[in-house]
Amino acid sequence: MRCVLYSQVRITHALLAAFALLTPLACAPSDAPGTIVLHVANWGGAKEGTEDDKRVEDIYREFERQNPDVRIQEESVPQDYVAKMALAYVAKAQPDIMMLDLSSSALFINCGVVSDVSPLMQADKSFRQEDFFPNVFAAATRGDKVYAIPLDFTPMVMYYNKRMFDQAGVPYPKDDWDFAEFQALARKLTIKDKQYGFAFKNWPAGWVMWLWNAGGDHLKQDPPTATGYLDSRDCVKAVTFIKDLVAEGSAPSISQAAAAGVDLFANGQAAMTISGHWDLMTYKNAPKDANGKPKITWGDIGVVPLPHEVPQSQTVMYESGYAITSQCKHKHLAWKFIRYMTSHDVQAKYQFSGIAVSARKDVAEERARASELEASFLPIIPSCRPPYGSKVEGYEFVEDQMTKAMDSVIQNSRDPYQALHKAAQAIDREFAK
Amino acid sequence: MSSTATRRSRFGPLFVAPAFIHLLVFALVPIAYAGYLSLFKLHLIRGQMHFVGLTNYGYTFGDASFWNAMWNSARYALMSVPLGMALGLGVALLVNQKLKGVTIFRTIFYIPSIASGIALSMLWIYVFLPKTGMINTALGWVGITNETDFLANVHWAMLALVVMTALNGVGPKMILFLAGLLNVPPELYEAAQIDGASRPRQFWRITLPMLAPTTFFVMVTSTIAAMQVFTPVYLMTKGGPEDTTDVVGYHIYQESWVRFNTGLAAAQSFILLAVIAAIAVVQFRLQKNQLKGYSTA
Repeated sequence: MRCVLYSQVRITHALLAAFALLTPLACAPSDAPGTIVLHVANWGGAKEGTEDDKRVEDIYREFERQNPDVRIQEESVPQDYVAKMALAYVAKAQPDIMMLDLSSSALFINCGVVSDVSPLMQADKSFRQEDFFPNVFAAATRGDKVYAIPLDFTPMVMYYNKRMFDQAGVPYPKDDWDFAEFQALARKLTIKDKQYGFAFKNWPAGWVMWLWNAGGDHLKQDPPTATGYLDSRDCVKAVTFIKDLVAEGSAPSISQAAAAGVDLFANGQAAMTISGHWDLMTYKNAPKDANGKPKITWGDIGVVPLPHEVPQSQTVMYESGYAITSQCKHKHLAWKFIRYMTSHDVQAKYQFSGIAVSARKDVAEERARASELEASFLPIIPSCRPPYGSKVEGYEFVEDQMTKAMDSVIQNSRDPYQALHKAAQAIDREFAK
Repeated sequence: MSSTATRRSRFGPLFVAPAFIHLLVFALVPIAYAGYLSLFKLHLIRGQMHFVGLTNYGYTFGDASFWNAMWNSARYALMSVPLGMALGLGVALLVNQKLKGVTIFRTIFYIPSIASGIALSMLWIYVFLPKTGMINTALGWVGITNETDFLANVHWAMLALVVMTALNGVGPKMILFLAGLLNVPPELYEAAQIDGASRPRQFWRITLPMLAPTTFFVMVTSTIAAMQVFTPVYLMTKGGPEDTTDVVGYHIYQESWVRFNTGLAAAQSFILLAVIAAIAVVQFRLQKNQLKGYSTA
């Protein structure tokens, strides 16, 4: 008995000793002594070794060559980025730099998760704020304080398939078009069981602009209030308009879109859709037909501002910028990295993928000169509005309620006013907590 | 005291210590801390803590969305627990045969239980797809054209979750019922056969009563698990459509990790704990009476 007991104790001791020895080995840094590791967090997925991945890697390595005592450690957080970054802050385990998504930046800015970089900006004589689009730069500021330097952004635009328009013999949409003109085109471009005039997706970021372009606004900012806004006459009109598009078959229902299992526009099954610049990458890799030809190419695509009932077309912009976290211990180095990433040369290389519009005017204009498609984004930029999530904390709840409201209108035939009113009340209750 | 007893008394606590420390660190301390947090208005990120006493509990009691979530959890439990138990028992009866290769079937039925809940949920999303999903495709083969989006339809979403979790949970219930069935003395069946009892009568009068303790255990643990369901809701419906699958576990998660109302979420967790404890107590009482009835029969 004693023998068994002692042998168990010995095994336990041996295991503990081995664990104690292996733990520091596993955690041992492979960097040279004195190397500073800058942790840079973003919401990207796992690296797949694509050309774009390699390009970004090259950009990081070049920075390391220029700064031999620094190593860039990219930390990709593809799921629940907001919650995980917030938790990292609470746990005092923040990265040095984090990508700030404009649609959720209010939480991080208002709660002090990211730091004001204006002192670093002012100390850096080579930094020129004028290099950036003014409304894009302003989106992550509070008065004189600056919380992120924008990397790139996209306005939400209307994409249309020129080939489908040509086949239907209808003229391309003009920059200044209204809801009725849009509806007429969507009807003409619809071919039952084959093609939709418009690919609607129930994603508030992709349809909130309909409310604005109908003359409404879904939220009052200070204090955040939705009742009387989200359920206003103009917002109800916009949602009814979308509901009618689906009901008459010019746009797929949420189920039909889900059932397709593909992006209907990329798959050549919809003539128009609303999305951001990032979907150009989807269209670049569009599915192929039976003859091996892509169902849509960049040459087929046109871009116009959204239809509007108000004097000027409104749209929302989504932006990603680099912010220095409040717990960053190497703020000057972090600033150096941000300056490098937002420099002309790096941006020209970084934006080659076509994922977004560079926040730098010079790079965006150079790309526009080289591509008609890129050029069509530039006139839309001045009318871009930042999402409310850049100013209102907890905006995710608003979008969640909006999704549910649209779901109940389209999927379960609820009255638009009732659905929006219910959502507005839920939002107000949430903000009152 | 003998030397063996002395050694046991000396080393016994040492062996219990790891499990106890685990329980303490990962369950008891967090529960106690959550109870403490529930008395504060706490925004996790701001780090602002204001003592509010029982205000969070008062707010939750008056919050219709929370009780809608609680009702959804109850609906889910009321449907999924009996269905899951019936399926588990049915499969256990099937694999309790003296057949060649029956262990292979037992293994096959258990396999879904060791698969990741996330992977299973993702798979079931495709089963429930409106046009290309397995269910609607199968209906199409028999001439029924159906494009119901089960996970987005207010009438079907909860049922879809119930069916999915009941089928996925068959394995562990089957194992428990099978263990119960193997413990039923064969003499009881032999005596019943001599008395001319039919197979259904044997099932109702011998098998089910003898399985009562197992049934009770499965019912209590299944009910607790059902009231805490989270993964399929998070992945498949996000609480929709129209909050019909916004179960309480998902609701608390949203409160804490999306809206960062940590104090309120802690209070809601304690209310859920109280509700589950109350259900368990009721089940214990009922079962006690039932067992008493059988023992006196």
